[in-house]
Amino acid sequence: MARMNALLVTAALATTSLSLAQGSTLTVAIAQDPQSWDPIDTFLVAWGSVAHNIFDGLIQRGPDLKLQPGLATKWTYVTPTTLRFTLRQGVKFHDGEPFNAAAVKFSFDRLLGPEGKKGPQQANYNSIKSVKVVNATTVDFLLSQPDPVLLTKLAGYGAMIVPPAYIKSKGDAYFDTHPVGTGPFSFVSYKNGESMRLTAFKGYWGGAPKVANVTYRFIEEPSTRVAELQAGRVDIAAGIPVAQVATIKGDSKLTLQAVPSPTVQSLRLNTSHGPTSDLRVRQALNYAVDRDAIIKSILQGYGSPIAAMQSSKSFGFDPSLKSYPYDPAKAKALLAEAGVKPGTSIGIDFIGTDAVFREVAQAVAGFFQAVGLKADLKPYETNTFYSDIIPKNKTSNAYQMGWGGWTFDFDNTAYLLYHSGQFWNANLKNKQLDALLDKQHTLASQPQRLTLLRQIATMTHDLATDIPLYNQQDLWGVNKRVQGFQAPSDSLLHLQTVSVK
Amino acid sequence: MARYLVSQLLQALLVIVFVTLVVAIMLRFSGDPAVAQFQGASAPTTEQLRDIRKALGLDQPFLVQYGHFLGGIVTGNFGTSFRGSTPVRSLIAQAMPPTLLLAFCSLVISLAISLPLGMYAAVHQGRPADHLIRFVSLLGLSFPNFWLGIMLVLVFGVLLRWLPPSGYENAASLVLPSLTIGLILTSTTLRLLRASLLEVLQSQYVTVARSKGLSERTVLYKHALRNTAIPVITFIGLQFGGLIGGVVVVEQVFAWPGLGSLALQAIANRDYPVLQGTVTVLALFVVLVNLLVDLSYGLFDPRVRME
Repeated sequence: MARMNALLVTAALATTSLSLAQGSTLTVAIAQDPQSWDPIDTFLVAWGSVAHNIFDGLIQRGPDLKLQPGLATKWTYVTPTTLRFTLRQGVKFHDGEPFNAAAVKFSFDRLLGPEGKKGPQQANYNSIKSVKVVNATTVDFLLSQPDPVLLTKLAGYGAMIVPPAYIKSKGDAYFDTHPVGTGPFSFVSYKNGESMRLTAFKGYWGGAPKVANVTYRFIEEPSTRVAELQAGRVDIAAGIPVAQVATIKGDSKLTLQAVPSPTVQSLRLNTSHGPTSDLRVRQALNYAVDRDAIIKSILQGYGSPIAAMQSSKSFGFDPSLKSYPYDPAKAKALLAEAGVKPGTSIGIDFIGTDAVFREVAQAVAGFFQAVGLKADLKPYETNTFYSDIIPKNKTSNAYQMGWGGWTFDFDNTAYLLYHSGQFWNANLKNKQLDALLDKQHTLASQPQRLTLLRQIATMTHDLATDIPLYNQQDLWGVNKRVQGFQAPSDSLLHLQTVSVK
Repeated sequence: MARYLVSQLLQALLVIVFVTLVVAIMLRFSGDPAVAQFQGASAPTTEQLRDIRKALGLDQPFLVQYGHFLGGIVTGNFGTSFRGSTPVRSLIAQAMPPTLLLAFCSLVISLAISLPLGMYAAVHQGRPADHLIRFVSLLGLSFPNFWLGIMLVLVFGVLLRWLPPSGYENAASLVLPSLTIGLILTSTTLRLLRASLLEVLQSQYVTVARSKGLSERTVLYKHALRNTAIPVITFIGLQFGGLIGGVVVVEQVFAWPGLGSLALQAIANRDYPVLQGTVTVLALFVVLVNLLVDLSYGLFDPRVRME
């Protein structure tokens, strides 16, 4: 209250000056507040958008999404189960603590120990048996089995290197809201549901950032994010809805950046019961949907068709695999062959608050009706949908599945979606698929894995387990005063090269 | 008076236990909070979910969990957020001032507009001014506050740039959200005030007062207004509960870091401790305001005694 009172007094004088962004401060608006800054406690894209400026991993992704050195300058497999990292020298944490092999060991012991058990990250790294310090600048990761996707995971979430002395003296809970890392920006303040302030870390190993300060604002309502962007109080806004594209494009001070995201959208088909347990019906539904029309009209072109549950950036992508063409006549013939009577009802489940997918679901319903079926739309609340309807096989014939392939490797997606008994796969059981999935899971040879992953994608395509729809694009609104910003495909903002005029 | 207060407090306690119990039960029927911790980049494995459930204490029986919560309330400890390590108490302490400030300013705005206009309309019943005021207030009633908020943002925040479109920075950022809630409240308060004032103005004791030769001003302020106060105050008290509900939506539009935003965030994350704590505090507010409304009757009508 005291704060607001003081503000009330000065406000009348200061309204105009406060409403403009400060010269060397970059303001970024994102939708969600991750609420927890400890790398092992979170699995949110919003965390990555902010905290990849505070923390570094041993490996990182460049703007081209290729893996590149981070806190490790190089890495080699000494044996298929021993991964050796050579560490960067002379790196310091924001609090002055030195970065070294002991810090790496501490970070992974913490992730794999009791503290890590409380968070969602541990299971991603359970192929690591232990981390051994060889000398101050060399560490060995001893693996219980070969893990072909470990390197890509190390560049994402969870495996960020944290300061041992700081955490030991301040405690895990304090660290959670007062993060310290080796990244280009250091923590200044955080207000739940409101904002996060960072300041440039002059001693950053990759060179000092170009802006003095970065403020993140958490603004959930998309139209408010756009309004703040238009008012010039926000420089970069994430998650611009397609409906607001015209507003951004019509504003001479703003630009729109569109990048393919790792997220793909599909309608999965329930293979365990009802008409969709028949392969011909599943194929018919695939022929019935005009994906290009959906992308063109609903996404306004900001998306591309997919033939399997992965984007073109994913390891395992097969450019020769094409989605089912739009062929309503063939769909009708297949339905007749399968003995599905005209007017049969096909249920479509989707997340009710997802405005874009609601339109997509309505369009698909239209396509289904055009081949003589009746579509029954069922909206659900997000959490109920994900934790109750899908895993307990309570879904209708078709149900929305949006999937963010954050590892950019089809393994993570395919294993969880198609392997029998997995949480996300309550209806599909296929021994051949299971065998292929298990085989690629621990295979060290990447070319062999690629072949297997493509085989899996082709199988799911032929089995028509889904109606893969599109790979969506992330839309970013950017003020023209911002220089050197390239919207990232993985939502991980790297702001050290960004400047403001 | 003391007996009245004690019985009211006991009632309040019952209300809070009932409300939190309903919330706790409903929450447990609405999906798995362990899954909610993952929404975003990836999906959990069965093993990950089991670990999280255990870490969050969700593997214990419902009554044990609820008992912990009630026991916590008594000692002022609402537990720790499922997401992150922040105590719920400090989250609520952070979110309370913005919400109270917003509710208070909205109330002041709505009273500042509705009292004079409602009185003017009643005194000038049937004249063009009365029609105009009623028409405008009907218009105000028909706007959903969500839409009104966005319109205010577009006009004053984006087009004219007089005020910040959102955020909690200074007094200027208070204007648009409190106007949004205030204007919605204004319409109903105004119409209620006009109607009850009209009724009073036609009653016998006003006619008597007039026939005694008292000035129209004295009749209005000393006799009529006082008697319309009780329904209007009751209404405002009842509105306070609704006001908090409206605040949830408006806080969302204006990225206002108050209790409404906190509750919405907690619902999305299935953050039981935060949601239960927020609901308890909101229920306390409503109970407290209603108590104050009851107590204030005595000020306006000496015949009202608290028994």
